[in-house]
Amino acid sequence: MRSVGVVVILAVAIALSISMLIARDAVSTKINTVRASTGTTITVSPKGFFGFQGGGTALTTTQINGLLSLPNVTAVQESLSEQLKSTQTSLISPTPAGQLGQQFGSSAGSSGGSSTSGSSSFTFTIPIRVIGTNSPGTAVVGGANGGGTEKLTSGKAFSPTSTSDVAVIGNTLATKNKLKVGSTFTAWNTKITVVGVFSAGSTFTDSNVLMPLATVQKLASASKQVTSATVVVNNINNVASVDRAVTKRLGSAADVTSTQATVQSELAPLNSVKTISTYTLIGSVIGAAIILLLSMLMIVRERRREVGVLKALGATNRSILTQFIAESTTFTVLGAVVGFVAGIAISSPITSALVSASSGSTPSSVGGFVRGSGGGPSFTGGGSGFTPPSGSFSRSGGGLRFGGINNTLTQIHTSAGWSTLAFAFIAALIIAALGSSVAAATIVRIRPAEVLRSE
Amino acid sequence: MLKVENLNKTFHTGAGDVHAVQNVTFSAADGEVVAIIGASGSGKSTLLSLLGLLDAPDRGSIDINGVQLANLDSAGRTKYRSTQVGFVFQQFNLIPNLTAKENVMLALEFARWPKEDRGQRAEEMLAMVGLDAGKADRRPAKLSGGEQQRVAIARAFAAEPQLILADEPTGSLDKSTGQKIVALLREAATKQKATVLVVTHDEKIAQQADRRLEIEDGVLKEIA
Repeated sequence: MRSVGVVVILAVAIALSISMLIARDAVSTKINTVRASTGTTITVSPKGFFGFQGGGTALTTTQINGLLSLPNVTAVQESLSEQLKSTQTSLISPTPAGQLGQQFGSSAGSSGGSSTSGSSSFTFTIPIRVIGTNSPGTAVVGGANGGGTEKLTSGKAFSPTSTSDVAVIGNTLATKNKLKVGSTFTAWNTKITVVGVFSAGSTFTDSNVLMPLATVQKLASASKQVTSATVVVNNINNVASVDRAVTKRLGSAADVTSTQATVQSELAPLNSVKTISTYTLIGSVIGAAIILLLSMLMIVRERRREVGVLKALGATNRSILTQFIAESTTFTVLGAVVGFVAGIAISSPITSALVSASSGSTPSSVGGFVRGSGGGPSFTGGGSGFTPPSGSFSRSGGGLRFGGINNTLTQIHTSAGWSTLAFAFIAALIIAALGSSVAAATIVRIRPAEVLRSE
Repeated sequence: MLKVENLNKTFHTGAGDVHAVQNVTFSAADGEVVAIIGASGSGKSTLLSLLGLLDAPDRGSIDINGVQLANLDSAGRTKYRSTQVGFVFQQFNLIPNLTAKENVMLALEFARWPKEDRGQRAEEMLAMVGLDAGKADRRPAKLSGGEQQRVAIARAFAAEPQLILADEPTGSLDKSTGQKIVALLREAATKQKATVLVVTHDEKIAQQADRRLEIEDGVLKEIA
C-alpha cells in the first residue's frame, strides 16, 4: 500500500513536470514564432508625427544617415511624405472623400485636402499622396509605401539615388488620370514622367505616388527633410538593443517604434508563463526526488534490522544496494510511466489555464492596438489620419497591427515529442539516483552487530 | 574446532570505556554444543558478534579449523561469514517478504551455492528441522514462532557452516517448543559436525548443552 502511495505521489510530481515542460515548449515556440514574424525593422518618425494629422518637426537626412553607424544596423530606408493639393498638380484624386472623408476633412480642414465651402455645404477633396523614398525596390514591394503587397504591374522602379523627375504611381491613380508608363503629369509646377505602375490591391494605396526622395525634397521645398525611416537590423535578437541605441541617438526628436519591443510587451504574459513553467518544472523534479529520497530513507530505516540480518548472513553492501536501487528504480519507472501519460493529458488544459490567467492579469495585452506609423508614411485615409481597418495580424509600413492579438497569442498548441520522452527518462534517472543516494549511504553505514545487539 | 584466545573488545562511550569482552579464552570441538550464560549487559552478545565476525576484536585471535579470522578485513569477514558461520536469533529475523524456502535459499545464495542446487538443499534443510512440506512456501507471518525458528535453524545450517551462533534462540518461544529447538540444534550440530554456541539466560536450556560457560562483566569462565 505504501509502495502504491509512493508511486502515485511520484506520478503526480512527474506529471506536473511533464505538463510544465510541454507548456514551456509550447509557449517558447509561440514566442519564437511571433518574434520571427515581426521582422527586424525599427520605425523612426518625427516626434508627435502621425500621418498627415500629427505634428512634429521633420527629421533630417543627416540624423537618419547617422543611424547607419550604429552596431547591427544593416540599412536605413528614408522617406518623405507630402501631399499634392489639386492646385499643385494635374492629377485628379481617384478617391472620393465619402462621408468619412468629408467628416475628417471638415474637422481638419488644413490637413491637406482641397476644400470649397459654401453657405450650406463643405466639399472636401482627398489630396494626392506623394512618397519620396531612397529605397524604391523595397518601397514598391512593401517598404516605404507601407502596404507590403505592392507589385509593379508595368514599367520599373527608379534608382535609390535618383534625382530625376520620375514617379511610380498606383494603378488606381493611373486609371483615373489615364496615365501609363511614359506618360507625364505635373506636380509643384514640374513635369513628372511615369516610369512604373504598381498595384497593392487597396484603393487608397493605389492612389499614391512614389518618387525619388531627393526629387520630393527639392520640389516640395523640404530639403534634407525626412518624415519616416526604417532601420533594418541584422538579427532579430539585436532589435531591442538597436531600438535603445536609436532612441538614445535621436533623443526627443523622434518617436522610435520597434515592432519587437511592442510585441515583447504583448508577449510578456507568455514569458511569465514560460518562467512559471520553468520554475515549476525544476521544482517538481526536485520535489519528486525528495519524495523518493524520503520514502527510500523511511523504507531503509524500517528495514534496518533486515539489512543488518542480510549483512550478518553474508550479503555484501553491493548486493543490498542493488536490491534497494532496484526498488527505487521500479517506483520511479512506474511513476514516470503513469506521470508521463497523465502529464500529456493535462498539459493542454494547464497551458491554457496558465496563459489565460497570465494574459488576463496584463492590461497591456487588452485591446491589441499597436501604433501603426511604420516604415513609410502611415496609412492615413480620408485625408486626415484615418487608420483603415486591418486584419488580426497585418503589417503596416513595417509596423504591426495586432487587432485581436490576444486571441492569437492565447491559441497555443501543445504537443509532446521525443524530447519530452527523453526528458521524462532523464528526469526519472535523476530522481532515482537522488532518491537512492541517501538510502544507499544509510545502508552502507548500517553495522549488523549494532542492529542485532539492539535485540 | 573453534579456538579463541585472549579476545578483547572495549567500547568507548561518553561515560567512559566499557570492557565488554576481556581476555576470553576457550575452545569447542566440532559437533559440540556449548551454552554461554550471562545476565543482560554481561558481554555475551558482544562475544557472539566477535565470534560471528560481525565486529572486529581489539585484541586476541579466533581460529576455526586452523584459519585465523580475527584479522580479516571487512570483505574477508563477509565472505567467511557467508560460508562458515550460521546465525540463529531470538526474534528469528527471517526476511518477511520471502517464503520459508526462499529464506533458506537466500543463505545459500550468499554462500554462492550452485543455483540449481539451492532449491533442493533448502527443502532438505526444512525437512531436517521438521517443517511441514506444505509450509515451505509460506511467508514468515503465516508461520508460528516455533516454525519460524525452525526455518531460521534450517537457514543457519544450510550452507554447512562450521560455527553456529544462537543468541537466545528460545527467548521468544514457550518452554516446550524451546526445548525442542535446542534438541534440534544439537541434532543438526551432530549431523553436520558444526560447533554450536548457544547464548541463553535460561539455566534449563543451558543444561541441555554439552558444556556451560558463564560470562560476567566480559570475563568468561567454565561452569563445572
